[in-house]
This record gives sequence, structure tokens and C-alpha cells, in this order.
Amino acid sequence: MNWISTQFARHWRNIHYGAIIVLSLAITFWPVQANRVLGQVIIGGLYYPFFKIQTAIQVLTLREANVRELRGSLAQASLQISLNEEAVRENKRLRSALGFEPPSGYRLMPAEVISVSGYRLPITAVINRGAKDSVYVNQPIINQQGLIGRVTDITTDFATVQLLTDPANRVAARVESSREMGIVRYVSGSTMILDNFPVHGAVAVGDTIVSSGLGGVYPPGLRVGIVASVQRGEHEPFARVTLEPVANFHSIEELFLLRPDDRR
Amino acid sequence: MKLIPYILYLLLVAFYEVILRDLTSIYGVALGLPVLLVLAVAVYKSELSAIWFGFAVGLVTAATSRPELSGWYALATAGLGSAAFHLRERLNLESLASKLLLVFGGALVYNVVMTVINRPDGFFFTLGTSVIPGALYTTVVAWVFFQFSEGRMTPQKMKAMF
Repeated sequence: MNWISTQFARHWRNIHYGAIIVLSLAITFWPVQANRVLGQVIIGGLYYPFFKIQTAIQVLTLREANVRELRGSLAQASLQISLNEEAVRENKRLRSALGFEPPSGYRLMPAEVISVSGYRLPITAVINRGAKDSVYVNQPIINQQGLIGRVTDITTDFATVQLLTDPANRVAARVESSREMGIVRYVSGSTMILDNFPVHGAVAVGDTIVSSGLGGVYPPGLRVGIVASVQRGEHEPFARVTLEPVANFHSIEELFLLRPDDRR
Repeated sequence: MKLIPYILYLLLVAFYEVILRDLTSIYGVALGLPVLLVLAVAVYKSELSAIWFGFAVGLVTAATSRPELSGWYALATAGLGSAAFHLRERLNLESLASKLLLVFGGALVYNVVMTVINRPDGFFFTLGTSVIPGALYTTVVAWVFFQFSEGRMTPQKMKAMF
């Protein structure tokens, strides 16, 4: 016993080395099944919690990717719904424009508004028709509601429209029923008025004002506005007639250029 | 020999093998964290700790990759621990360069031995794309570790740098 403990104390390092070599060789040369069992024991004891963490991370990553994909699909679906709703609205507008007839002696050319500009109220608009479509300066523009304005500037593909809401734009007009004349203009920051109308002229609230055709720009008979109020001063030569425009200038989209049949 | 720190090291090896290895790989070049741990134990602890810890690390790393080669893995890693310990006894490891040289040499020899044990098809290809870059990567990480462990780099110094 004493001899053994002496030998152990003298060769303790070699014994450890020998044990490691023997164990390693035993593990190397014992059956593969035993190696697998050893692997399973190590995996079960040391790796298991980390495999659980790894699986949880993978599941979370997968779910996050799914959520991201679903969000993308949802955004796309929302966009598609908005586009569809817009298409439905456009369809309604175009259907109402289908039966729209131009004044006698004129043809219609449809145009789309690309942009509008103006402070509070739009006073000019740009349309997608230009010189290549034979658009010309002062060409009248209307929509289903009535007179909109005239072309003031042209490029190859686009044209600028001066709307009736521009205070510089005036329309020779008359009361549809009484045929008495005046000049329609927009008072900046106020409303549309029928100017130069005689104080004793026959006009009443609700009368329709149409273009007279005398200015040389707009053809006669285009609806401009409805009389909203009439004020007659005792010593004034002209009545103050305010109009409600027939066209809604805040929502112009599809317009029509009027072209005389005899113009090429 | 207190066992708890070594069990924690083995858990760290398992954590690295399962989760960190892929995250820390750069273009397929993996960090040799098990090698680093064995070398650290060999440098800072006793000879017996180094060889038995190396033996255990070999078994742990083989368990998920090549269980049929567990014995060779264990023997190679225990040999690394022993060699590193004897080098530490014979060399002056005070300077950072000598420590890094030990890490680089240890990682390189260990990677080569492991490559030989695994017998891949293209040995020299593996040597160029995985073994040597892996040893360099491990050395760089060891350099960062020594910078912090020996107080050359502190959070205050890092803040001052940036």
C-alpha cells in the first residue's frame, strides 16, 4: 500500500496523461453507438438549453419575417383599395361625361388637369394637351357643369388654362331668360359678379347667366353662374349682381377643349 | 481543482458552438473560442487543469459535429493544453507579443490537427481559407481580450478615443 502511494505521488502527472490517452483511445475505438450515446449525453447536459434558445430565436425571426411580409401585403392591399376607389370615382365622372354634348358647331377634345395653382382658390390649371394636339391660345375650356376658362399658354405637350376664378379673366355674358348683358368677373377674395349690369335690368335670384359670345373668345350659351343676390342702389347706374359659379373649381379633373368645326 | 468555473467554461463553449459561432463568423472563418479557453486555462491554471479541461472541451466540441471522432478531438485538445502549459513554463509570457504568438501558434497547430483528423477533400484549400484565417482571427480576438484584461484598454480610454 505504501509502495502504491509512493509510486502514485512520484508519477502522478504520468498517471493523468496515461488516463487521458487511455480514455481517448477507448472513446476512439469503442463502438460507434457508444460514441453516439456519449454525444447525446453531452448534448442533453450542456447543449440543450442553448438549442432551446436557438430554436426560440429562429421561431421569433421567422415570425418577425412573417409579420414584415404581412405588413407589406397589407400596405399593398390598402394601396390597391385606394386605387380601386379612385378608379370607381373616375368611372362615375367619365360616365357622367359620356352623354355630354358640345355647343352646336363645336367639337370636344377631352383633357386631364395635371396641376392647379392659386392662393386658396385655383386660378390657373395645366392640362395634358398641347401644341401636338393643335391646342391654340384663347381656346375655350368647359366641363359638364359649364364654362371653365381659356387657354393662355401652350407647350408641345401641355397647355395652361386661365380659369374664370382669375380676376383678370372676364366673360361677356347675359341673363339666359331676359338676354340682358353684363360682364362676368371674379372679384379677388370675394365672389363672382355680373358687372356693368343696368340697375333696372331684368334679373332675379336663381337666374342662369350664360356667355354671350360677344367677346370673341367664348361661344354663346355656355353656363357661367347662377344669380345669388341682386342689389340695386337708388342712385347707382348699375346693379350689384353676385353669382354662384356653376363649375366647382376646387374639383376640376376632366375638362373639354372646345374646337370650332371649321377650324383644322 | 474547483469544478464550477470549468463547467461554466464548458457551457460557454456549448453556447458558442450553438449560437455565437455563426454570428461571429466572417466569410466562413470561425473564431476558435474553445482553443482560446484551453490556452487561457493552460496559461493561468495548473497542468492538470489544462489537460483535463482540454480533454472535456474536445468531447464537447465533437458532440455536435463529429461524435465518432470524439476520442481524437479530446486527445488533440488535451495535447494542446499540455503543450501550451509547457511552453508557458519555458517561455517568458510577460510580453503581449509572446502571448499572442502562443495563441496564434496554438490555434494554427490545433486547426491543422483538426483538419487532419477530419480529413477534408481539399486539405490545402481548407488550410488557406479556414485554418490560417481562423488562427489569425482568434489571435486578433485574443489581442483585444489581453488589451482589456491587462488594463491597456479601459472604457474611459475608449471613450477618449472616440
